[in-house]
Amino acid sequence: MEYFNHYQKNFNELLKSSDDIDFRKRNFDFFSKNGFPIKKKNDERWKYLDLRSLEKKLYSHDLENSDKSINLNGIGLEEKNTIKVINGVADYSEILGLTLISPSSYNNVATYNEDEFISLNASMSYKPIYMNINSNFIGNKLNIVYYSNSDKDILECPRICLNVDNDIQLTLNEIFICSETVTLKLPVTELTLCKNSKVFHNLVFESSFNENNFKFTRVDQHENSYYKFTSFSNSSLIAANDLKVSMNGENSECDLKGIYFTTKNSQFNTHVVVDHNVPNTKSNQYFKGILSDESRAVFSGKIYVERNAQKTYAEQKDLNLVMSKGAEIDTKPSLEIYADDVECSHGATAGHVDESTLYYMMSRGIDKKTATQMLVNGFASEIINEISDEEIKMFAKNQSDKILPELTFET
Amino acid sequence: MDKTLLKINNLRASVTETEEKILDGLNLAIGKGETHAIMGPNGGGKSTLVNVIAGKDSYTVDSGEIEFMQEDLIEMPVDERAKKGIFMAFQYPSEIPGVRPWQFIKASVDAKRKFEGEKELSVREFSKKYDENLEIVGIKQELMKRSLNEGFSGGEKKRNEVFQMLMLEPNLALLDETDSGLDVDALKSVGDVVNRMRNDDRSFLIVTHYQRLLDHIKPDHVHVLIKGKIVQSGGYELVKKIEENGYESFE
Repeated sequence: MEYFNHYQKNFNELLKSSDDIDFRKRNFDFFSKNGFPIKKKNDERWKYLDLRSLEKKLYSHDLENSDKSINLNGIGLEEKNTIKVINGVADYSEILGLTLISPSSYNNVATYNEDEFISLNASMSYKPIYMNINSNFIGNKLNIVYYSNSDKDILECPRICLNVDNDIQLTLNEIFICSETVTLKLPVTELTLCKNSKVFHNLVFESSFNENNFKFTRVDQHENSYYKFTSFSNSSLIAANDLKVSMNGENSECDLKGIYFTTKNSQFNTHVVVDHNVPNTKSNQYFKGILSDESRAVFSGKIYVERNAQKTYAEQKDLNLVMSKGAEIDTKPSLEIYADDVECSHGATAGHVDESTLYYMMSRGIDKKTATQMLVNGFASEIINEISDEEIKMFAKNQSDKILPELTFET
Repeated sequence: MDKTLLKINNLRASVTETEEKILDGLNLAIGKGETHAIMGPNGGGKSTLVNVIAGKDSYTVDSGEIEFMQEDLIEMPVDERAKKGIFMAFQYPSEIPGVRPWQFIKASVDAKRKFEGEKELSVREFSKKYDENLEIVGIKQELMKRSLNEGFSGGEKKRNEVFQMLMLEPNLALLDETDSGLDVDALKSVGDVVNRMRNDDRSFLIVTHYQRLLDHIKPDHVHVLIKGKIVQSGGYELVKKIEENGYESFE
């Protein structure tokens, strides 16, 4: 197929200026063997999405990257703790107290053969960042802001791997700013949470109908660590919020929440896996979707409990509000449990705006449109209010306020 | 000047989905300042009547007239009826996740004021009234920090309905079995609020199964609604008669 040759050429070019050649080759081999996961019947994660457009357009790196400006004031973020990722290339020169580590000393959380997109990212990423967040790091907040300003059809493979040291508490904000650039983004963020560390991770996608954005987050939790993830996503052409947390240390806990708005003809995939590999760990997945127009969303969530992972406590919920007849949700919660002393629950719903609730609200003088918006806003705000960073919470709220009046709803 | 607030003539109504006929030629007139009670056996059409007046679209008006302040109600949207002064205290109020009572009630009060061409209340004016009325109804501030009606007990939901009635100051208040599930103290409190709100311009239509609430309120008119029709009307003394003889004697 044409796109194989294209990415092979790009890969060969990039290899000339890279050092971690074996790692990249291993990943690229996996990608070239499998290609994009298009309509693969046994691939639960991607089979509900229409990814055929990825074969048709050929995306290439744009490494010239002359304009490094992003307006951060609109979000209220400070430059000094912000990694700017422009056209897929990360710039961290402004950040104080970062300790870079060599790729070889870093133990990868994502493996080369778990996903075609991750492999493509790993093989093609330009200047991936490996860093250690320890007591030298100034402040306790790190922002990663992604923006594109190329006039080509670009491929972006940013890869940021953070090792959060023992006892460190960190707020990590990742924001995708919308742009006019036609792009295939494959960002990968890897986090290792060392003993007793706490990470509050917020992820926001702005709406962008030129973008395909497959975002991967891979987390390795050690003993007594706490991880809180909250995402807010607005429509893109095709986008994915793909999250995997491995509970590898006893008494670790994670709390994963997200809200997705899908409009027009957008497709959004939420894929969440929590692996309970050791005893006495706790996880919670709580995701919500608001779908309108002809959009499509997929939620596949999994709780995996290893044989020896006794005293696991795990919950999972996905609730969807379907606003129009043309919208479609596939929600698929699943449990895979090999231990016998565990407490796990899961559930999923998809429904329309409740008529009797609308009647109740209208009987108080609130018109139907306003009542619907209040209901949807209430539904979304339960997740938005979980965002741990005030600036990001405001940013997400503003996004949501912008979407609400544009939502069409049919009853 | 016409003292009639609500006039219902020969009203027939059915459940939209099943076409089951519920109201069967019902007549009722409520004057300004009057308090009416509707009693009757289950399935007689009491709840249907108040919901048809409020405008619930799962009921269809097949024939007849409903006039409110000399205006035809039948085609009027639910929210407009509310803005014109009709309020219903629900038998089963909805729970609304993520919507705070304060925000919801402010939106209701503002919608009504805007409709009447008045300015929205300032936050300070609204809050003052809000706090005073909470006190009157006996709702703790703590409860109202939750989402609307979420995690409220049955009694708390009913008190919250009465609280909203106080805030919205309607011309016509419909109470749909507000007394069911209330303990003696809560019942007295609801009765006190209704009595306190009664004046020459405000009317009440109270749907109930029991004498208890009516003993507090002492309605001006009592109607017996059976099989979609009002079969007898009278004064407060009718309540006693029902309590002693049941509904069978009216059929």
